[in-house]
Amino acid sequence: MKNLRKVTLYLTTLLTLAFASCKSEDPTKENDGEVITDVTLKFQELNASNALVGSVLSFKASDPQGIEVGKTPTIQSISLAKGKKYQMTIEVANAIKGEDITQEILTEAAAHQFFFLGQVFDSSFFSIQYADAGGIALGLKTIVTVSSSTGTNNSSMRVVLRHSLNKSFPGASNPNFANFVQAGGETDLDITFPVIFS
Amino acid sequence: MIQKAILLCLALVASLGTLSAQQCDLVLRGRVLHLENNQPIEAAYVWLSESATGVATDANGNFVLKNLCPGPQTIQITFLGHKEIKQSIVLNSGSNNLTFKMEEEVVALTGVEVHGHREVVQTTTAVSSLYGEALLQVRGENLGESLKRLSGVTTFSTGSTISKPVIHGLHSNRILILNNGIRLEGQQWGAEHAPEIDPFLADELTVIKGAETVRFGPEAMGGVILVNPAPLPTSKKQVTELNLIGNSNGRSGNVAVSHSGGSGKIVGLGYRIQGSTKRAGNIQTPNYFQGNTGMSETSLSSALGYSTDKLGTEAYYSFFTTELGILSDAHTGNLSDLLKIIENGAPFSNAEFSYSLANPKQVVTHHLGKIKAHYHLNPSWKLNFQYGFQSNHRQEYDKRRGELNTRPSLDLELFTNTAELFLDHNLKSHWTGSIGLHLIQQANSNVPGTGVTPLIPNYDLVNGGIYLLEKFQKGPLELEGGLRYDYRSLSTSRYLGNRLQEKTLTYQNGSAFVGGLYQINPKLAFTSNLGTAWRPPNVNELFSQGLHHGAAAVELGDTQLISEKSIKWVNSLEFESEKTTLELTAYANQIRDYIYLNPTGETFVSLRGTFNVYEYLQADAFFYGLDLSGTYSFSKQFNGYAKGSIIRAKNTETNSYFPFIPSDRMDWGLSYSFGKHADNDNNRITLSQVLVAQQSREPDFDLSPAPPGYALVNLGFSKKIKVGANGLRISVQANNLLNTEYKEYMNRFRYFTADMGRNFQLKLNYQF
Repeated sequence: MKNLRKVTLYLTTLLTLAFASCKSEDPTKENDGEVITDVTLKFQELNASNALVGSVLSFKASDPQGIEVGKTPTIQSISLAKGKKYQMTIEVANAIKGEDITQEILTEAAAHQFFFLGQVFDSSFFSIQYADAGGIALGLKTIVTVSSSTGTNNSSMRVVLRHSLNKSFPGASNPNFANFVQAGGETDLDITFPVIFS
Repeated sequence: MIQKAILLCLALVASLGTLSAQQCDLVLRGRVLHLENNQPIEAAYVWLSESATGVATDANGNFVLKNLCPGPQTIQITFLGHKEIKQSIVLNSGSNNLTFKMEEEVVALTGVEVHGHREVVQTTTAVSSLYGEALLQVRGENLGESLKRLSGVTTFSTGSTISKPVIHGLHSNRILILNNGIRLEGQQWGAEHAPEIDPFLADELTVIKGAETVRFGPEAMGGVILVNPAPLPTSKKQVTELNLIGNSNGRSGNVAVSHSGGSGKIVGLGYRIQGSTKRAGNIQTPNYFQGNTGMSETSLSSALGYSTDKLGTEAYYSFFTTELGILSDAHTGNLSDLLKIIENGAPFSNAEFSYSLANPKQVVTHHLGKIKAHYHLNPSWKLNFQYGFQSNHRQEYDKRRGELNTRPSLDLELFTNTAELFLDHNLKSHWTGSIGLHLIQQANSNVPGTGVTPLIPNYDLVNGGIYLLEKFQKGPLELEGGLRYDYRSLSTSRYLGNRLQEKTLTYQNGSAFVGGLYQINPKLAFTSNLGTAWRPPNVNELFSQGLHHGAAAVELGDTQLISEKSIKWVNSLEFESEKTTLELTAYANQIRDYIYLNPTGETFVSLRGTFNVYEYLQADAFFYGLDLSGTYSFSKQFNGYAKGSIIRAKNTETNSYFPFIPSDRMDWGLSYSFGKHADNDNNRITLSQVLVAQQSREPDFDLSPAPPGYALVNLGFSKKIKVGANGLRISVQANNLLNTEYKEYMNRFRYFTADMGRNFQLKLNYQF
């Protein structure tokens, strides 16, 4: 009986300890690493000999909170001149963490690709080619040619960034590949920019 | 045995002799039970001295003695290892009904075996179990898939590897799973979070289909699943069991070993150690492979027990770890991706067979330790104590950029302490029952460094409960009732951006049940149980705020949600004769403030694209349905079975249907046994068919309509071979023999892919 009492005492102490030590950790702030808050499209004119001329035109889409309900992103209108050729570069950043994601996309070029869609291409107002270093289909650098007769002054361009896709899927080498979903992977960005022709 | 036979013959002759003498037409019915746990005793011998007549009890402990003469009689009941009962009774006119409880003999007598203490659930609710042969057939499948064999139980699955059991239309946090008597506490709230348990550790899987909050605590609203290992051996005998399983689909292999034995020196000391491991690759549908659907799983359990006549102690530990691939196509970036793949109805990726796992995937480990003791204060009173510790670690990986790809985007650690102290009484009169205290404590933490705002906050939970159960048993009648009160406190804290959000919520509730069993005649029994249950809102329902990765959905929790309260009435009729068994269960479950995820119809636009917005709402719900199962022996060799279930569930406030309610289904089969020798059941062929109807009661909003109904054919062959004194069983099974392409409504991946195609399975079971 004495033994039993001892066992009970030990057990009670052990249990008290077990229950007392079972506490959740204090929460920590988590900076969303995956989130893209700023996407900037930079256009610079190319002359007849494909040299860069003039100043850089910059148009931005931003969503400072990342993915948070109730906030909608701000998207600037792209304003380009008819009949001209531009070099377009894309910069992607996470302002919450102060991170430049462009470099990451470039490093993982084999797993990423931009596709360009929307009315500007459907109505042949724009034509586009990948112009990334090494001749790869990535889309961080492209050449955009604006048609000289657009009929309208207002249109739109949809920019999609996919990752984990099969880049050798038939048709995926085309920057205007509308069935990009079929190449597999996931969407990182899907932004529709208004386009104004001048 | 011979003695018994002679006695029986004598009894027969004697009763024939007395039959003509006087008005001897009385009937004595009775039941013989174990005093310790109220389990029926089979083959106990009942003898009436004056009438010189006797009979042995059947599997349910029942006996009937007919053609008895009125007047005083001495009844004598004997059963090995139990104290003999000798009692004087007086037989009156009509029928007489008595219940006897036999007490185990004290071990002091040398040579008397100490019995393993098996906890049995005493309930008047409908109960179904898988054990023995039926359990062998499902070996190698996960818990959800295994339990599908029981009528009224279906699965809610996410692909072919993740499945959760559904009892009468309810799943996840609305049912309970007990691992050797301890409430399994994992992250059960998620649809893609499978129970962290390996069915190999059990020698019996039991489903209780009623509201059992009183006995087991909050959340046991739809039912309870008991995963019970065999009782530990108390004698020196050593048993080893080996299972080898291979599947053609997924090219999987599964090895499971268990070894149990007892000490020769210390009487009453027994142990068991058991482990299993499984590896599988991509699943194949009739027309394509599902990319990234492989998995690996390892589990281990061990138990050590010591019992004497008064004391029973047991220490138990189980470990479970799994790495599961998630169909890569099911992980979509935004709504337009999701709609594209739903429109396609099949994955875009042209996957090949592979064992390797990539993101998205889950890595889960679960540890469970418990100690248990009971002490017989006297033959009628028993004091029980049980403590369990659980640690659950869940990591979910998404397809991410760069270094983030190696980091989980959900990383949760959950610790749970459970302690239970209860006092059982099993009086020699007709009363049994228990009174107990139940404490649950839980701490959930998000492991920092995921780079994703956590889906659920860190929290601490304490739940205290006190309960009382009482049962009255007399002859063919059992009546029971119970009461319980629970108090729960939940305190949460998390960062939303830079803002610290802290909240403390409390819930309290009472629950009660009444039930009864009536053995109408030795073949037919009726049970009825009416119970209330409650479930406090889960942390995800309260606090979800943000993107559900992969589902292209934004889910909004609501901290104002109140507890769900339900009242469930289950009625069941069981018929058992020599050739036929039949079980019919009918139930109705009224749930007040049922919590469900409702599409708001709004979309949310971000740089990543558009998402559907869902919110957690509450409404009154009504579930009702029928389960039917039966077997019939056409001859000794030729047997058939059929079972089916029907569920209806409605939101009675909006008069609409809930999503993911199982459609009507049934399966039936025929088996033929044959062999060379007298034991002509060494070989068996089984042909079965599963029929599933289309769910025509669809919710107002669904991403795609319910898939059409389907029929699957399965064919199996099993053989028992004697290897010396040991038994070897070999079975070959073809599931979905015709390679039918189908989609199951209860599979969340029906949006993206067809279900598993044909599978050949080879199974070896060897006991030595």
